[in-house]
Amino acid sequence: MSTTITTTTTAGIDVGSGAVKAVVMSFDGDSETVLAKVSSRIRKRDIGDVVDQVFAQAVAEAGVQGIHYVGTTGEGEDIPFATGHFYGMTTHARGALFLNPKATAVLDAGALHARAVAMDARGKVLNYKMTSQCASGSGQFLENIARYLGVSQAEIGGLSLQADDPEKVSGICAVLAETDVINMVSRGISTANILRGIHESMAGRFVRLLRSLEFGDVVFMSGGLAGDEGLVKSLEDEFAGLKSLTGPPPKIATHEDSIFAGALGAAIWGNFRFHKLGLDEIAWEASA
Amino acid sequence: MKRSQIVDWATAIYEDLDFSTVHAWLDEAPGRKAAAYLPVYAPREIIHACGMLPVGIHGTGGIEIIRGDAFYQSYICHLPRSVVELAQSGRLDMLSAVLFPSTCDVIRNLSGMWQVMYPDMYVRYLDLPQVADPKLGAEFWKRELNVVRRDLGEVSGIEATEDRLRASVALYNEVRSVIRELYTARRETPWRVPSEELYLLLRAGEVVAPEFFMEQARAYLGVIEQCDDRIKDRTRVLIAGAFCEQPPLGLIKTIERAGCYIVDDDFLAGNRFMIGDVPDAEDPAAAMAETFVTGAIKTSVLYEPDPAGKRNLMKTRAAAAGADGVIFAAPSFCDPALLDRPMLREGAEAAGIPCIAFKYAENSGQFQQFREQAGTFADSIKLWGDA
Repeated sequence: MSTTITTTTTAGIDVGSGAVKAVVMSFDGDSETVLAKVSSRIRKRDIGDVVDQVFAQAVAEAGVQGIHYVGTTGEGEDIPFATGHFYGMTTHARGALFLNPKATAVLDAGALHARAVAMDARGKVLNYKMTSQCASGSGQFLENIARYLGVSQAEIGGLSLQADDPEKVSGICAVLAETDVINMVSRGISTANILRGIHESMAGRFVRLLRSLEFGDVVFMSGGLAGDEGLVKSLEDEFAGLKSLTGPPPKIATHEDSIFAGALGAAIWGNFRFHKLGLDEIAWEASA
Repeated sequence: MKRSQIVDWATAIYEDLDFSTVHAWLDEAPGRKAAAYLPVYAPREIIHACGMLPVGIHGTGGIEIIRGDAFYQSYICHLPRSVVELAQSGRLDMLSAVLFPSTCDVIRNLSGMWQVMYPDMYVRYLDLPQVADPKLGAEFWKRELNVVRRDLGEVSGIEATEDRLRASVALYNEVRSVIRELYTARRETPWRVPSEELYLLLRAGEVVAPEFFMEQARAYLGVIEQCDDRIKDRTRVLIAGAFCEQPPLGLIKTIERAGCYIVDDDFLAGNRFMIGDVPDAEDPAAAMAETFVTGAIKTSVLYEPDPAGKRNLMKTRAAAAGADGVIFAAPSFCDPALLDRPMLREGAEAAGIPCIAFKYAENSGQFQQFREQAGTFADSIKLWGDA
């Protein structure tokens, strides 16, 4: 089947455990343009309401009246107006390639878990590994610790980079790690050294995940933690310090839109599916 | 009737481990009796013709197994454990008879245990015909049916005369026809018929009077006809291997939520065991036997005389259902399903049909791994396959 439509508009909605992200994209031949991107923390709100609000805002910002394919990912399986759903690793792999065409693996570090995905140049997932159920490698854990320390999320990365004597934190259990942090505070360890210690612990887990896969020179970081420059630096240092590494350490790449990687992947795959299926109808209309 | 009413009705029956609908039916008139059967296939027409309520016992993942585990080694599937648990907790005391079809050794052993545990109950191990010669098989099965017919008639006090049996055969032809309609509707418009709902409806049909089941099923067919839900971009899959111990409802739901439309399956396969109708004949038992031998589905619990039969089965079924892939979902330790799986999978893959496989138990409670497998499988077909 083939569609007669050459210019398409698609949306990608990534429902994470901490935030909902939506993008609207336009496709014309080889040209892929992001028209709008919106994200919103879920906090204690109804997820359906957050999805509606984020999607409406993205559509309004994009200034489009119709969307050919609404692709969802993450926990977005039940979004009623979706055209199709893609699994998280599929969308993050594709989104990572969109943001950095040199990426050969993606580390998706979100609020509740992290996963490492190796992909080929087309975005086809070759292998993947996920963290176990423990929360100690998650954004939620980091957010909790920051709250105990009286630090805003935006400050975490910068403070971590100022550390001069990082304190080791349990890398296995969030409960033990939180106990460690309480002890450190009472021992007068600086906030920067505590945060860097946590980053190093998380970086250790993430590097172990990545090393269980085969990939090339560039690892792209997606998800909410990709914007944490302290964690990125810890990851680079962790790789650089590996004695068993035969070649140079991989480059850890990020992007200001890293958090939208999943949504971008869903929108791009949505466009692919629209053409593959030979669809010719608008899936979502502003007037409907 | 609203869709939600039908689904709620079926859900309530599915969740009711006390078999209240069976008790209610028995209480409606004095002297009524119920006869149960285990998976996969039992001739419900015979039970019905003897004036009894056919009751499908398909185990449950919904109760804690204490007594059931005492009867079985760790390498035995979960179904007999929950069946024993249901029985030992008194939940099956209302039954007057139980039929144990020749599904596997475990079911056969269970029939022996039943005879020891419940000496006052009629118990019959049903040897389904497993021979290559259809004439011999039909003759054998007719005799077996007539033995059960005679015995159940004695239990119920109602003789299954030729007329009564013919009427029951006609009734179950209707039941099979309605179920075929439901499966056709799901195959053609899977977005209107979530497999979870279809399964609940069929499961309820196992413990209510056939007339009542058809009423509900027809109402459901009417409702989905009006449904204006839009098709979603999902991968059409066939679920193979779940014919005896049933998957938890959460697993069925998870597979569809992960991006698949189930367009064919083996769930509760006994109610679709005969592909077509049993003809109206002077000797209804002979007609049932003939239809069984010549027109039963291809399944792991029946002898397959054609060496290529198993290898071709998934190709044939996937083509008929328009499935893009096959998910082999079998209960842990299910010999019939797991012994057939390599042949079935080899045949499917040789025909270029993508496959994945996993095992479940009726009490599986964690679905994340199934979600991952089904989700990535659906994506791989949508993005890199022919779909």
